[in-house]
Amino acid sequence: MVTHGAASLLTVAWQRGRETVSTGFQPLDRLLPAGGVRRGSLLEWLAADDATGAVAIACAVACRLAGSGASGGESHARTILVVDRGGRLYPPAVLPWLESAAGGFGRERPQLMVARPSTAEDEIWAIDQALRCPGVAAVLAWPGHVHATAMRRWQLAARAGGAVGLLVRGMGRGIGYGRRCERRCEPKHLEPTWAEARVAVQSVAPSSAADAALSGTAVRRLRLSLVGGPWAGDAMLAERATELVLDMASGCEAIGRRRAVGTPRQTRLLHREGLECRAS
Amino acid sequence: MSRILTIWLPRWPVQRRLLERSELRRVPVFVCRRERRGVMKVVSWAWAAPPRSSWQAGPSGPARPAGSFVGGAVAAARIHEGMSLAEGMAVLASAYGSRACQIAEVDHDDPDADRTALEELARSCRRFAPIVAIEEPAARGPSRPECLHVDVTGTADFFGGEGALVRTAVWTLASRGIHARAAIADTPTAAWAAAHHTDSLAAGSAPVNPRARGSRHRRWAVVPAGGQQRMLAALPAAALGLDADVLTQLEGVGIETIGDVVRLPRKSLASRFDPQLSQRLARFIGERAEPLAVPCSAELPTATHAFDFPLALRDATADDVTVILERLVGECIGPLAALGKGVMMLQVRLDRSQVSGDGEPSAPMIFDVGMFQPTIAVKHVVELVLLRMARLRLPWEIAAITVDVVSAGQASCRQRTLFGEPAEVSASQVGMLLDRLSGRLGRRAVFEPLPVPDVQPEHAWVAVPPMQATRRRGTSVSPPSSAKRKGWSQRHDGGHVAIASAPQRRPIWMLPRPVRLEVIVAANCVEPSSAGAASVAAQSHCQPTGVPLAGFRLEGRMHEIVKAHGPERIETAWWRGPTVRRDYYVVETNDGGRYWIFRRLDGSRRVWAGGLAEAWFLHGMFS
Repeated sequence: MVTHGAASLLTVAWQRGRETVSTGFQPLDRLLPAGGVRRGSLLEWLAADDATGAVAIACAVACRLAGSGASGGESHARTILVVDRGGRLYPPAVLPWLESAAGGFGRERPQLMVARPSTAEDEIWAIDQALRCPGVAAVLAWPGHVHATAMRRWQLAARAGGAVGLLVRGMGRGIGYGRRCERRCEPKHLEPTWAEARVAVQSVAPSSAADAALSGTAVRRLRLSLVGGPWAGDAMLAERATELVLDMASGCEAIGRRRAVGTPRQTRLLHREGLECRAS
Repeated sequence: MSRILTIWLPRWPVQRRLLERSELRRVPVFVCRRERRGVMKVVSWAWAAPPRSSWQAGPSGPARPAGSFVGGAVAAARIHEGMSLAEGMAVLASAYGSRACQIAEVDHDDPDADRTALEELARSCRRFAPIVAIEEPAARGPSRPECLHVDVTGTADFFGGEGALVRTAVWTLASRGIHARAAIADTPTAAWAAAHHTDSLAAGSAPVNPRARGSRHRRWAVVPAGGQQRMLAALPAAALGLDADVLTQLEGVGIETIGDVVRLPRKSLASRFDPQLSQRLARFIGERAEPLAVPCSAELPTATHAFDFPLALRDATADDVTVILERLVGECIGPLAALGKGVMMLQVRLDRSQVSGDGEPSAPMIFDVGMFQPTIAVKHVVELVLLRMARLRLPWEIAAITVDVVSAGQASCRQRTLFGEPAEVSASQVGMLLDRLSGRLGRRAVFEPLPVPDVQPEHAWVAVPPMQATRRRGTSVSPPSSAKRKGWSQRHDGGHVAIASAPQRRPIWMLPRPVRLEVIVAANCVEPSSAGAASVAAQSHCQPTGVPLAGFRLEGRMHEIVKAHGPERIETAWWRGPTVRRDYYVVETNDGGRYWIFRRLDGSRRVWAGGLAEAWFLHGMFS
């Protein structure tokens, strides 16, 4: 009989052999257990609120994954499929990022496709189908309340197809992240997950004097914390939280404006706030 | 007595282009033919969605007519076939202003493509009856066909009667974005006349409402059997499809309507007028048979499986249906693959068992299965058909299954290398995925977004079908692609330049409709003196945030604004319809959120004692 924890270990063992792609953000690469994103896995993003930047960082990672496929890596997948159930995606903000993700003049640009399911069942099916397709580099979606069965289904689909599932979920507040849980639910960061990593995204308010350089709308400072996944309890992890600066014009990392975090103090803070890691 | 359903597709050359490029609906479209000395003659023109404002007194009254292919905009600007392009532009400018000419799209005539698209449409209309013909163009009349004749003798009962059938035909085409008018009569000529004058027939038959007189629009009509001479008597003689010189001859003797023509003595008709008149009249009345020209130049394969006994779908296993479908689809794809072609659209027809129910004839269930690119993969097509069947309420028992290829295209086949070519393989896999998604979610639910140079954020992108966008990638979708239009948009729209250079000012999530915000006005803000100086005054008086707000309430939660960037004034031009005047701000809140809010400036400002009472909206979130 295979227990839940054993299944996680098997997952970890299987994933060691997959291609790892850089997210394009060095702090995020250091935060993720594999040093990047493994193809054929899920990555879950927890957004504290509607406007925290979780979708933006997930979009940026998706563009990078598709860009590496377009420029000829192990995978030739260069399509991003956005499963946008609420019809909220505003493509003019993302389309310029595809150009910069291509990596150079003359290279083929990644493709952005959008599917708009009308029901939760269609949404689950569409994500599953997209993850099974070897031609898709990344699937970006913001499902509402997701049962663990659906997520396990997605994990197997991603494993079969090689796409990366980037699932953005709200922490319970806000108006954007699908339907809310009708019954009394466990907080999302405490739910078991089948994703390789669960990253909580918080936006850093430009209030302190140190943020004076980060003025304008061109950049955005985000704080990322690893709060779940089979690797989360690993004591060997170098960092548990980090900060990065996202260039909102190109979807890349704004070099030179990063501030190293991930100190023991930060980890303690996370534990105090209740964002303790729990492996699935 | 036979019954003919005539479907008129007004201005088909323009409609075909709009089906291929939906963004052209916003601009006037001219289809022109180049003649000697480079003179461009207008073949057809239309403006599907003209501006709706009342900014200038036009020829039809103070308000602009709505977009339509019959009446409306095309009637307001009297541009006729055969007019030179320069004349057409001048008429358009007099009706809609010179801006309309600057955004107009001019395309070259392509009669073969028009004919091919019409034949494809004729094949898909086989769902109404098996015999579908294309109108034969008159020798000296309209140069190209715009009508389909469907022989619906005995098939109307399947659809609940002739009225229901003609409505179904119009609505089915409308769901594909095609504007059509249809009528049923005894003869093709009578049905042709009725289809071209459905408005006047509706006005004559319906009870007269004084307020609605002249504005009644109906896209269908049914002429009862044997009643064409009585019901269509008031229509103009041109409805018989006569040439211009015959009409002039008739006008000379004071004959204007079909009723006048019918009352003329038949014996002397041929000697007094052109023989065409007596021929058309005989066809109108039904004295002379009119053969239907069924297109047979590119007959596409079809396959049928009839069961010995009706198959109860409830008892049948999935494999039963799959095996039959694989055989039928294979029979259809085989001949096409030999020609290097693939299937683009299939029509599947499930004939119900006649013995079920209360003895009434049961209508067959017909559904379309479309692909984004031609395919010869049988399993993929069968999978799409099964996906579609899973979403339908299938009949209890079926007597036969028919698979009919409606549209085919050139398949891109290449010899494979030993180890495969991953890039091409992945592209075809994505194509199959998109077919599957659109099969279940709907054809419009799967698309590729492309940017459009438009100042209004809601209209700054357009959703295009995936494979069309792939063909057109590299150039952003710009309705008129001429250099003239480019210069104009940069001068007057002004917005698309800003969007292209500053995507960081656009949110990743935009609400489908702006949400009105409950705002808290900053205490130190002073009401600016004039609307034009609003942004400047707000910035100068409301430092450090730059926005005259302290916070806003959203979903019951208070958000305190700590920083704001803006304003970015977005204002649409007067010729685009209802004016949009907004001041957009990117605001950052105390909890780190970044929102895109705007203040409406279109006359909603009211001054209260000591503060502002303005309309503020949330339009997007930098999620």
